[in-house]
Amino acid sequence: MSDALSATPATRIALRRQGLLPRILGAVLLSFIIAALLIALTGHNPLTAFAAMLGGVFGSPYQIGEALNRTSPYLLAGSGVALCFRAGVINIGADGQIAMGGIGAAGVVLLWPGQPGLLSAVAAIIGAALCGAAWAGIATAIHLGRRVHEVLVTLLLNFVALLLVQLALAGPLGQPGAGFLQSRPLPRADWLWRAPHVFFHGGIILGVIAALALSVLLWKTPFGFAIRVTGQSRRAAAYAGFSAAGITWGVMLTAGGLAGIAGGTEVLGLHHRLIEGFSTGFGFKAVTVALLGALEPAAVIPAALFVGLLESGALSMQRQIGVPSALVVVIEGITMLLILAATVRRA
Amino acid sequence: MAALLEMRGIVKCFGAVRANDGIDLDAQAGEIVGLLGENGSGKSTLMKLLFGMMPPDAGGIVFRGRELSDHNPRMAAEAGIAMIHQHFTLVEAMTVAENIMLGWQDAGWRLKRREIADRIRETSRRLGLELDPSARVGDLSLGRRQRIEILKAVLRDAELLILDEPTSNLAPPEVAELLAILRHLRAEGKGIIFITHKLPEVLDVCDRVVVLRAGRVAGFAPVAGADRATLARMMVGRDVPAPQNLSGSGTGATRLSVSGLGGAGIGPMDLTLSGGEILGLAGVDGNGQLELAETLAGLRAATGGSVMLDGRDITHASVSARMTAGLAYIPADRSSTALVRGMTIAANLMLRDSARPPYARRGWLTKRATQTRAAALMQGFDIRAPSPAVPAGRLSGGNQQKIVIARELDRNPGLLIAHQPTWGLDPGATHFVMERMLALRAAGAAVLYISSELEEVLAISDRVAVLAGGAIAGIMPRGGVDMAQLGLWMSGRAA
Repeated sequence: MSDALSATPATRIALRRQGLLPRILGAVLLSFIIAALLIALTGHNPLTAFAAMLGGVFGSPYQIGEALNRTSPYLLAGSGVALCFRAGVINIGADGQIAMGGIGAAGVVLLWPGQPGLLSAVAAIIGAALCGAAWAGIATAIHLGRRVHEVLVTLLLNFVALLLVQLALAGPLGQPGAGFLQSRPLPRADWLWRAPHVFFHGGIILGVIAALALSVLLWKTPFGFAIRVTGQSRRAAAYAGFSAAGITWGVMLTAGGLAGIAGGTEVLGLHHRLIEGFSTGFGFKAVTVALLGALEPAAVIPAALFVGLLESGALSMQRQIGVPSALVVVIEGITMLLILAATVRRA
Repeated sequence: MAALLEMRGIVKCFGAVRANDGIDLDAQAGEIVGLLGENGSGKSTLMKLLFGMMPPDAGGIVFRGRELSDHNPRMAAEAGIAMIHQHFTLVEAMTVAENIMLGWQDAGWRLKRREIADRIRETSRRLGLELDPSARVGDLSLGRRQRIEILKAVLRDAELLILDEPTSNLAPPEVAELLAILRHLRAEGKGIIFITHKLPEVLDVCDRVVVLRAGRVAGFAPVAGADRATLARMMVGRDVPAPQNLSGSGTGATRLSVSGLGGAGIGPMDLTLSGGEILGLAGVDGNGQLELAETLAGLRAATGGSVMLDGRDITHASVSARMTAGLAYIPADRSSTALVRGMTIAANLMLRDSARPPYARRGWLTKRATQTRAAALMQGFDIRAPSPAVPAGRLSGGNQQKIVIARELDRNPGLLIAHQPTWGLDPGATHFVMERMLALRAAGAAVLYISSELEEVLAISDRVAVLAGGAIAGIMPRGGVDMAQLGLWMSGRAA
């Protein structure tokens, strides 16, 4: 991994001096120029399109809330992924962990009905975290116990988790006769808290708290130090007396728990039911925002916000002026590529 | 005849540090120039400038009558300069011939394997390289790999070869062979710049020596008529006394007792060490040194026998339990085991003690106490860097090793295992390391000093043991060292 990822406080300041910020802004600008060209190719006026995009993000309190809700799962899962990558553990299983979190939250609410509101919400979030962590735990056990590469284990378990969601929806959690796979709606009393007027749900708040907490863990505690050393050199970590297995368990369970919460808040705060495929693609977005945030949990906050707002705006651009949805994905991809290219330090 | 290479008034600054401060250097065809200097004296910087890895701030380079400026390594190579680094750039899974063909214009688009193999064989014979084109690089010793690099340079028509500490990884017989190869190259009219710390090699093979100190040329001399003491004084700017092992102690109570210890690549072996004693472990590298050191330090599992430290059984103890028991360890692999190059000096000083005071209290890292301790250790162990926040990888080898030594000795260990602690260090830094070992011994600790430099082992040890084939071939007290016997042990022949 590049030196930029191992930035100590002093080198972070140095990076800032080297003008990382202007480069990021330049990349964003460039990506918008490319996006404008692509939009023009589809026969739309780029300026109208961008206006629609801006309006889609900041046009009304409701739209701001919607953009923040889009950010929330990326932030929760992405800060956990950043922690794993810091330790040199390439966890790409957030997708499956988010799915399991959804099952956990919906399961607690639907199978343990009639609890007072607060208890129910807390229990549902805890259930989501435990399910996500358990899913990451299975991956860790296979990885450490059988020496299967973590990329392979976490990736393959994503597919299994997806099927488990289907199984749950076809069975105990499903809504019979709905026509497609979804759970019974959650009772209104169990919905996640929403901010008045702006309508974002509690997930984003949990996300910010989690990202800041992980940043403190990473920089202010001996465990965080061990994570950073392990990520830089396994040999040095063994020499320092750190247990690679212990650290892998620690970061994987933390990341799994956070991804589980991401899935839980999607179910409790946004969809108000468990839906087939609600988590698809979130895991890879989590990896993207972790990398955009240079694996610095606190910096994952702006990174996730950026991606969330971009997506929200792009979707509204599609709705309002009919830029094809495939193009929206292309624009998103180009923007992320350019930013990543701008932030990687030259050897 | 014009010089092959002329560097005039080279200046290169890094911030406030003048790494090169007006250096002149020249080299003739058919000449071996020794480039001497302490760690951080500017040798590497000068060579990087020559090879085009970065531009000089001032000064000019003329090579074969042509001005070299704004060049990059590729252009330098095309002009006929070859750089042979300490760490080789070879693909281990490929054969010698394939490695030589890699990135070589003459190899052409269609691989002419047989033709290339013939050229390799012919040149190899001429220079005494003894390389088989079809051998897999991964199977070859470090000495052989280095010869591949030399052969690569020669086949690519290099006129000037720069060898950066070429002997630091080699066993003594391989060193002798390398020096013979260099003489062949000189006879063919190649110019050679030979960077080293080892004065005997300079006196043996070089025609002329240039000594750098603090970014300037401290002196130059023809080798004929120079002696070690003169060169050493030029390098460090003062006399460097040989380390003196004054007290012949080793009378303290037994601290380390190893019996029947076995593991992958070693044993079974018995070994005892008393407080106030330095046991030197000599032997050709690759005879179980790393395995023994790592097994004692807890990085490899012992498969049999027992290790007792101060009466405690640590045979199967964890790395941190061993540290608590008083075991300190200086690994030979500085760059990826002993240090984390990308992390700061302060972080490296706390590497193995991060959960203990003063570095951590009540579960939190203590930033201020860590900085204070780091600054104190930097001063106490003469680690030269602008601040504790500088990444360790930026320091010279000597300063990096001082970080490791400061960290390990700061714990007041009862037993120190030092594996090649002076590897790649200049005489001044080597002296520093040896002095610290002696001071530790005077404080009552036991030191296991593992080195393939026999001279060092003899200078510092109270007893000398030889490791051969993963077992102790024999032990003798320093007073009665029988060189012939040592040689027999080292060669692996039973006495």
